[in-house]
Amino acid sequence: MSAAIERADLLGGVEDLPSLPAVVMELLGSIEQEDIDIAVLAKKVSSDPALTAKTLRLANSSAYGLQVKATTIQQAMTFLGFQATRNLITTAALTGCFPAGRCPGFNDKAFWRHSIATAACARALARRVRFNADYAFTAGLLHDIGRLVLVTRFPERYQAVLSLRDRNDSELIEAERSLLGIDHVDAGVALAEHWHFSDTMRQAIAFHHAPEATGAGFLATIVHVASAVVHALDLAGNPDELAPRVSSVAWTALGLTEEAWLQVFHETELQYEEMSAILMA
Amino acid sequence: MSDRYELVPLAHLYPGMVLGDALLDAQGHVLLAEGAVLSEASILSLARHGVGAAPILRPHPVAEPDPSAIQARLDHVFRHNDRDDHADWATGLLRRYVEDYRLAREVAP
Repeated sequence: MSAAIERADLLGGVEDLPSLPAVVMELLGSIEQEDIDIAVLAKKVSSDPALTAKTLRLANSSAYGLQVKATTIQQAMTFLGFQATRNLITTAALTGCFPAGRCPGFNDKAFWRHSIATAACARALARRVRFNADYAFTAGLLHDIGRLVLVTRFPERYQAVLSLRDRNDSELIEAERSLLGIDHVDAGVALAEHWHFSDTMRQAIAFHHAPEATGAGFLATIVHVASAVVHALDLAGNPDELAPRVSSVAWTALGLTEEAWLQVFHETELQYEEMSAILMA
Repeated sequence: MSDRYELVPLAHLYPGMVLGDALLDAQGHVLLAEGAVLSEASILSLARHGVGAAPILRPHPVAEPDPSAIQARLDHVFRHNDRDDHADWATGLLRRYVEDYRLAREVAP
């Protein structure tokens, strides 16, 4: 097997990665900004009909319980709020932007099912611990995005990673480290920089496997646990689904009762089913 | 009442629905056989025969989830977790809660 992938290699390679629609880059970069001109953004999104259609279908799904259907992006922003609409636009754009089927053995659909479910679960958790639910949703959606970088940039080597994981029945991240010398967290951080994600998002991606590390931030805790819950709920449709070890520090930090957990499971499943039906269509 | 079909009132019948049982008139004559697919015409004909409701096949047979199959699947998903490993109590708790959830066990509030 060839040598470890250098970070420079990875960053250089990111240039070949699909580019997001400019408006989505703008949305992701501005997640902490409150003073954006919403009317201008709505107009920009509306110039992309496919993105608009997907976003509106999400906005009108029963997860958001709108009494009146939104028929324009501007309306969705009025009804749902700017933050929530931005999440939907980002979700709609990201799920269609990486080429599928490049790496045999890598299940693109299962990847997105896991990401969408983690987003739904992170949002449900955030609401209960009074954390910004929209950050949590986006971070949940993006936490494993580095995996798509590896799959797109190094499809053959990633195929070997998948076989190694199957042979050892290990967690994917361990197989990534031992064959590539880097893992999807490194790749995700590189992409976050390339795509100008906010610091908050980059931190959450960087620490979702190490939420107890100093400076990891609470968003990493939420995403770490949400991802574990989604593996445990077996939602992605992987025959060899494996529940990872949950950080007890992260679990304790959330401080939920069993009753609250069961509600989170239920909410996650409901939202996930509806959103994946729209996004995976 | 059967798990396979449900009685649907005449007003809620639509073309394309499938009968889960034979439909008889008041004299016991078969109007439509089991498995017949309703059409616009057959629904009108049922109305003329004074039929108030029809046994319509459910989209999927209602299958009782098998608790032992659910448990086996959960054990597979949590195959790296050792219930007796107290250092890994957080994973153990998640496992127990998901079991309670999937097996619809009674949970103390």
